Amino acid sequence: MSNEIDQKVNERTIDKDEKQTLKRTLEEDIETAWDRLEEQQPQCGFGQLGVCCNSCKMGPCQVDPFEEGPQRGVCGADANLIVARNLLNDIAAGAASHSDHGREIVETFYETAKGESQGYELLDTEKLKNVAQDVGIEVEDRSDEEIAKELGETFLAEYGMIKGGLDFTERVPEKTRKIWNKAGIMPRGVDREVVESMHRVHMGVGADYTNMLLHGLRTALSDGWGGSMMATELSDILFGTPEVTESTVNLGTLKDDMVNIVLHGHNPILSDVVVKAANNEALVEKAKEAGANGINLVGLCCTGNELLMRKGVPMAGNMLNQELALATGAVDAMIIDYQCIFPSLPQVAKCFHSKIVSTSEKSKVPGAVHKEFHPESAYDTATEIVELAIDTYKERNPQKVEIPCEPMEMVAGFSVEAIKDELGGTFEPLIEAITSGQIKGVVGVVGCSNPKVQHDYGHVNLAKELMKKDILMIETGCAAVASGKEGLLVPEAAEMAGDGLQKVCESLNIPPVLHMGSCVDCSRILTLAGELANALDVGIDQLPAAGAAPEWYAQKALTIASYFVASGFYTVVGLPPNTHGSQKVTDLLTDDLEDVVNAKFDVEPDPKVAARMIERHILSQREELGI
Amino acid sequence: MKVVFVDVERCVGCRHCEMACAVEHSENKTLASMLEETPQPEPRIKVGLGVDLMTFPNKCQHCDPAPCEDACPTDAIYHDDEFDSVQVIEEKCISCGMCAMVCPNDAIAYRKTEEDGNDVAYKCDHCIDRLHEGEEPACVEACRTDAMIFAEANEVSNMRQTKLFRNITSQIRGQGSHKEVPKNIKEYKKLQEKIAHLGPLPSSKKEEDSRV
Repeated sequence: MSNEIDQKVNERTIDKDEKQTLKRTLEEDIETAWDRLEEQQPQCGFGQLGVCCNSCKMGPCQVDPFEEGPQRGVCGADANLIVARNLLNDIAAGAASHSDHGREIVETFYETAKGESQGYELLDTEKLKNVAQDVGIEVEDRSDEEIAKELGETFLAEYGMIKGGLDFTERVPEKTRKIWNKAGIMPRGVDREVVESMHRVHMGVGADYTNMLLHGLRTALSDGWGGSMMATELSDILFGTPEVTESTVNLGTLKDDMVNIVLHGHNPILSDVVVKAANNEALVEKAKEAGANGINLVGLCCTGNELLMRKGVPMAGNMLNQELALATGAVDAMIIDYQCIFPSLPQVAKCFHSKIVSTSEKSKVPGAVHKEFHPESAYDTATEIVELAIDTYKERNPQKVEIPCEPMEMVAGFSVEAIKDELGGTFEPLIEAITSGQIKGVVGVVGCSNPKVQHDYGHVNLAKELMKKDILMIETGCAAVASGKEGLLVPEAAEMAGDGLQKVCESLNIPPVLHMGSCVDCSRILTLAGELANALDVGIDQLPAAGAAPEWYAQKALTIASYFVASGFYTVVGLPPNTHGSQKVTDLLTDDLEDVVNAKFDVEPDPKVAARMIERHILSQREELGI
Repeated sequence: MKVVFVDVERCVGCRHCEMACAVEHSENKTLASMLEETPQPEPRIKVGLGVDLMTFPNKCQHCDPAPCEDACPTDAIYHDDEFDSVQVIEEKCISCGMCAMVCPNDAIAYRKTEEDGNDVAYKCDHCIDRLHEGEEPACVEACRTDAMIFAEANEVSNMRQTKLFRNITSQIRGQGSHKEVPKNIKEYKKLQEKIAHLGPLPSSKKEEDSRV
């Protein structure tokens, strides 16, 4: 029995620190995503191939992928169209998630500019002016509030159609913009592209799979260079532009002698105020009265990444760590906002004293305590939640607490601005290192965790292989956290890198893997790519760069991969999107797109093979650039 | 001799057959009314996960002679000559478990079919009511990919031989396999194999490694 459990644990994760907790879940029957994946077997091949259409009441229909049984749904859609519709639907869902998150940031920013929010201020006024100037807003002789008010209004209008274009596409290199215009994929408005996607997936709106998927690229671009980019930039102004910061990561960040509050989800709006509340001396005193040594805040998923980047708050882990964090028995309150939050969390919490606190009107969970967040009353709500956590701490059973490890050190906070600072105020040294070949190229490794593959294996091995090849990683989301847990986010990790990259890292005292933030902060990768391409006077598609999502699961990741490709990054995903039911769509994504945007997708589950594919691409890019 | 032939390469694990089987063995034979029944009918066919995310629909293959029939101490299992099928007389079943023990396909389970009844041998009945009506078994009808076909054994065997002749000769001509599985599906299966190898689900490679 225990052998069987050990084998399961080893097959489920490479993270040695979380193995103990994973083992506990198996021994104590605490259900996790890995167990549910087993329960779900076998998973339907029609869905995995993308040839199942469950959109209307003439269906559901499935096309026989072996090309002998039914070849069209009741409406007449063939495999190509069904696969394309499903993919567009996924891309739209991903874009909507990021962009709606962005909308909340813009709204809070706007209320702050008008002085109507509670607990927020315009923290980075230098960035406020820079961003305002980027989008053509006058900044001379105006107060910060005036500028912010106009910027808020300008950004709210990005969601609609009045302007017919997105301001941040001004950051896109001219050559890349030309490609978009020629392909007809220049995004026109954030909400507009998503709504149009929803229109196009309806029965009877076109039957041309290519046309359908080109709109998918446009929708994805409206996220990357629109919704996500606004989320990143305005979060920086409200909460501070990240600077290089030291912190810690893994389940060992939970403390047995403190009130543990886990901040989980994606949006920093409430959690940033929770950080303020938890530093309130009266509340710290209250925690001590309850018998704790203080209040310990840790992050999970991208809410965690947002707080790590700006405030150095430690990270408990990435997506698949959410149930394991609860299974330590040490969590007093897990505050959730939205996205990637397992609906089953209250079930795990019930095994212990832990409370799940939902905070978004959009994201209520049965079994959670609901404390709804509004910008006007943010600080009061945050205080209430911290008090609830302190009260819950009193219920904690120390016998049931098992924190499996000591935390791992890491360095994070690499915003575009921070990278520039580290380089001495100009990107010139980085460009010099790239053109001289010390650094062969740069790869954006992003995306999720997925229980179908061993936890963190893809992220960690891809990064290790690429750094050996003198390729610098810029990472976000669960990928960055995986690297953190493995100890790759410290300057000393450069010892594992090739000679060239190692020297660069040593001279700048930076890790070979740079943590650039949350998944909406993939927009930072776009901004950086735009800056580098402009400096070299090329399109993004000509850079010695690539994207990768080794362990993705979410629609959001598909959207990110799509805007990477549309922006010109060759992008390798570790699990196939649900598209293999159509040879033509597969060909379009992995081949023909190259004729449209000079970039394409590839699928490769094995990170070591993926690393070779990426290296090959980077070397050929270098050759074409003549460097 | 008409049998249900399974082509494992074509099973995509959709479990339509399971659902169709349960509905067929319900009172009113509709999905909605089935959900109201007690005890609720369960499928007599099970689609399970093998290695490399491959799946297989398993059910009674109606052996002749049938080991279960020989093992049954109460003659609750008999051979139906008209359709070459093996049938259970539930009233005679004494829940002893003998038939399941000897079944070469592990295709016999025990379930209550009446609310206050005993657990009786529960297995594929070949949809004998449908066969009387000149229809195929429900699982076969539900299968969209022809992973299951209901046909004379010799006919299927002839059909397969024809493919085999073409395959072998194509290979001799250096044209690779003659068949028939589309390229995208082959690629997909290779990816599935890799994912199984890199994850916690059963994989041929992992099993091979553990034997070494």
